[in-house]
Amino acid sequence: MSATPELVIKDLHVGIEGKEILKGLNLEVKRGEIHALMGPNGSGKSTLANTLMGHPKYEVTSGEILFKGESLLEMEADERSRAGLFMAFQYPVAIPGLSVANFLRTALNARLAPSENDGSGAVPKKRGIAPKEFRALLKEKMALLKMDESFAGRYLNDGFSGGEKKRAEILQMAVLKPEIAIMDETDSGLDIDALRIVSDGVNALAGPGMGVLVITHYQRILNYIKPHKVHVMVDGRIQISGGPELALQLESRGYDWVRNGKEAVAR
Amino acid sequence: MSKPETPTLDLRESYTEKYGFHDEEQHVFKSRRGLDREIVAQISDMKGEPQWMREYRLKALEIFEKKPMPTWGPDLSTIDFQNIYYYVKPTSEESKTWEDVPADMKRTFDKLGIPEAEQKFLAGVGAQYDSEVVYHKIQEKLEKQGVLFLSCDHGLKEHEELFKQYFGTVIPSADNKFAALNSAVWSGGSFIYVPKGVHVDVPLQAYFRINTKDMGQFERTLIIVDEGAYVHYVEGCLPAGEQVSLGHTWVNIETVDRGDVVMDSNGRESRVASTRVLPYKGDMLTIVPLSSANVFRLTPEHPVLTVRRRDVAARRAPRGNWKPEVSSVRLRAAEPEFVPAGQLEAGDFLVFPVSRITRENEALTRDVVRLLGYYLAEGSTYIHKRLHQPVVTLTFSERERESIDEVKALIHAVTGKRAIEVAQPSRHAVNLVVYSQHLRDLCIAHCGQGAAEKRLSREIMELPADLQAQLLETYLKGDGSVYRKRKHTMARACTVSRTLAWQLQELIARQGHFATINVRKGGPDTIQGRAMKRRDQYILYFSHDKQQSQVRKCEDYFLVPINRIDRNPFDGPVFNFELESSPNAYVAGGFAVHNCTAPTYSSDSLHSAVVEIIVKANARCRYTTIQNWSNNVYNLVTKRALAYRDATMEWVDWNLGSKITQKYPSVYMMEPGAHGEILSIAFAGKGQHQDAGGKVIHCAPNTTSKIVSKSISKDGGRAGYRGLVKVQKGAVDCRSNVNCDALILDEASRSDTYPYMEIEEDKVTIGHEATVSKIGDEQLFYLQSRGIGKDEAAGMIVSGFIEPIVKELPMEYAVEMNRLIQLQMEGSVG
Repeated sequence: MSATPELVIKDLHVGIEGKEILKGLNLEVKRGEIHALMGPNGSGKSTLANTLMGHPKYEVTSGEILFKGESLLEMEADERSRAGLFMAFQYPVAIPGLSVANFLRTALNARLAPSENDGSGAVPKKRGIAPKEFRALLKEKMALLKMDESFAGRYLNDGFSGGEKKRAEILQMAVLKPEIAIMDETDSGLDIDALRIVSDGVNALAGPGMGVLVITHYQRILNYIKPHKVHVMVDGRIQISGGPELALQLESRGYDWVRNGKEAVAR
Repeated sequence: MSKPETPTLDLRESYTEKYGFHDEEQHVFKSRRGLDREIVAQISDMKGEPQWMREYRLKALEIFEKKPMPTWGPDLSTIDFQNIYYYVKPTSEESKTWEDVPADMKRTFDKLGIPEAEQKFLAGVGAQYDSEVVYHKIQEKLEKQGVLFLSCDHGLKEHEELFKQYFGTVIPSADNKFAALNSAVWSGGSFIYVPKGVHVDVPLQAYFRINTKDMGQFERTLIIVDEGAYVHYVEGCLPAGEQVSLGHTWVNIETVDRGDVVMDSNGRESRVASTRVLPYKGDMLTIVPLSSANVFRLTPEHPVLTVRRRDVAARRAPRGNWKPEVSSVRLRAAEPEFVPAGQLEAGDFLVFPVSRITRENEALTRDVVRLLGYYLAEGSTYIHKRLHQPVVTLTFSERERESIDEVKALIHAVTGKRAIEVAQPSRHAVNLVVYSQHLRDLCIAHCGQGAAEKRLSREIMELPADLQAQLLETYLKGDGSVYRKRKHTMARACTVSRTLAWQLQELIARQGHFATINVRKGGPDTIQGRAMKRRDQYILYFSHDKQQSQVRKCEDYFLVPINRIDRNPFDGPVFNFELESSPNAYVAGGFAVHNCTAPTYSSDSLHSAVVEIIVKANARCRYTTIQNWSNNVYNLVTKRALAYRDATMEWVDWNLGSKITQKYPSVYMMEPGAHGEILSIAFAGKGQHQDAGGKVIHCAPNTTSKIVSKSISKDGGRAGYRGLVKVQKGAVDCRSNVNCDALILDEASRSDTYPYMEIEEDKVTIGHEATVSKIGDEQLFYLQSRGIGKDEAAGMIVSGFIEPIVKELPMEYAVEMNRLIQLQMEGSVG
């Protein structure tokens, strides 16, 4: 495990259309760690995920996000991704006509190829994974998630069921091998079997090389993915952090317990 | 991709005024600007048409004049019909044989020591391009099957009965104003007849009709597919073979695309603003300069950067049959100007620009470059089969001890490894062998692999001249020879790679010397007692200390005299592109030529074609169009097909280029069981309006049809669907399905959908679906969050959008189309 955390969020304030959602959030995630971020609806969980990934709609008004020591704030989403950050979407969008395989190969090659513009004006060399090699990789990762091979030829998220969409997100994570992965309400809309498959997938990928931030409303997914740390977010700020037992406390006592009694709880 | 509009137009206009179609020698007949009975009658006369066609044209002209300009679609009010040249007939054909080659030219050949076979080749007697061979093979097969595939003009001449039976029956002159215009002035286009039961298994492409008649901007196409037959016709995307300089290497002109970077006539990089393909029928000039391998072909209208010999002649009496002597002082001082190739004469000087593109490269040190020079001449690389080790070997003569020692030292310096020296006494040779992946990678990356494929990398071509000199020096020690001739040091080098020969010529030019390249034609030969097939060899000559006596060096270019100009009839597509830079000129065959001004009539041109198709019982026809006109063309085309019992007609219609396109291919289902299908794609960028769509007319019961339309608009472009589904009285049990989707890329762009329905029967099934979507921020963000750049992401969304129709294209077109779309998408988002 590395000494300095890969992801460092300092006093982050984020607004959307002039309304402040995140109001001074602090969080650190290292490779090898699994963090759970829990909170009621409207607490700003998805805002945090989208801000980290660089969604243009969210405006960082103050604070800092450092990834591997460098500020993410000036980077476009694609640059953040190539740097090693990943987000599994709560609502993945469909791209009709673009096959899963084609998409993933392009995404993978975008990592392998040199940056598009090195300032010399020279045409970047085509590099990347050979088609055969890629097919083998994709097959292996799809087996991990118990996905049928025909899945690779389907159009991305087009006509996918809720469970298929979430599995496709984890498949992307498996192929792109991020250093820090954010999972935005991955458990929502999953039945118990799908939840188990997705969780098994995440557990297989998590390890010393990857840090995970699981964002969730319910404690349920944490039965399958064991977090090292649990944070509770209310009203744009992390109010309490603790060990795995905090999730269970929340489940039995509800978020109001945090809202009302936050001063009483040691941070 | 905006281009500097004004300088381009200025050049063109002044060119048209100065040289345009007023050159009496070039054309047997040219019409004056504008359109009237006299001109139409003249066109018919010049073509030697039967009386009925002449009357047909004149009648059509009356209809054209009477019909008002359509006002229901895009704005066409800016078209000035009286400012257009409607017909240009090129010079009469001349067939050329070796006997026709002028005696003085033969003498010149002899002086240069070129063998007769090669002279014949250079004189344009032999076939010059493989594509023509392909063409002949396809033609042969078609003839055996009884398929007619010729120009419409020839169709009329050679098969008048058949032609007359169908011509104008699908689209009468009175159909619309532009069909009337086409009927009055048509020229060129294709005439195809597929006999009963014949399946033509290759797509027929306009390109393959190389030896037939002209296709104009008012071409006419007539296709008859007889009972049970099948044909697929493709128009657009036409290949050929002239070499264009990208500064560091050469490519075939037809592969040049919008956005590519080529070298302009000043030796600088410039981006291609637009490309176009024009059908051309007439003389094709082959210009053979002093350095005969630099031969290139172009049309007589094509301007070439030149100094005319007569403008710089010395004041001295001519000697014998020598070309007039020139004054060096006047020649160097002369300002080269663009002159149409048709006016050039042997002895005039072409401009050979010297590349000024220089980029330092840290990896290419003096040692590396010297070693690559040796490798280029003497080396090869492979993977050792048993050891699975990468091997680089260089072979020297025993006598080259100095070189051998230097190479050993260089290998050690570059790879840190010691080369193994293997003596081959029987061949008086020494092999140097080194196992090094690093060196193998370097050699392949910068020199290519295999003798015929050797070429220098872009990095090498752009190195500073002093480093290039190192490479030339060591290369010449291997493949070259340096010898004394009278008082001067001459160098000679020989390679079987044409690209390498041209690249070396360029490197030598950057050293300040002009190298001539001559071709030694390959063929069967005997080498050391063994029968071999020898490849073409390219032989370079130059001198370090003596200027080529006929070539003049100027500051940034060389002036190279033309040895000979050949004129041959040609019929096929010609390629051209426009650059963003001014002057709008590029380098072909090593020499500066202007972008072609061939049939451009004014700043905006008009393309108005008519396509008529008859698909008989049980037959099937597919017609694919890929329209990528330059953005100053009004593209107003009428296309219609009649489908009889159980026949299928499919239109696949791509519209990418043009200023305004109005095109609605239609299918009339005349008898039960007929099926019509239209796949239409329109892509409108800045300043473009694509009014595309289709019409299906159900005239008989039990007929089916399908229209799929996809339109994409960006940068303020406007693309849309305009279509009609019509079911006539009595045509019961018909099914029709219309599906139109629009994708809008930004706020400034627009999409329109005009679906018209005229249904006169109740017992029919009609489906209609339309969607309009914008490339959503969410879609872009999703793809970007996976590491894909914004432009590429947008391109992927667009490619996905049109995927269902791309799937319908032949493979090579599908690939090309995706590339075109990616190109259109560059820099379009954000």
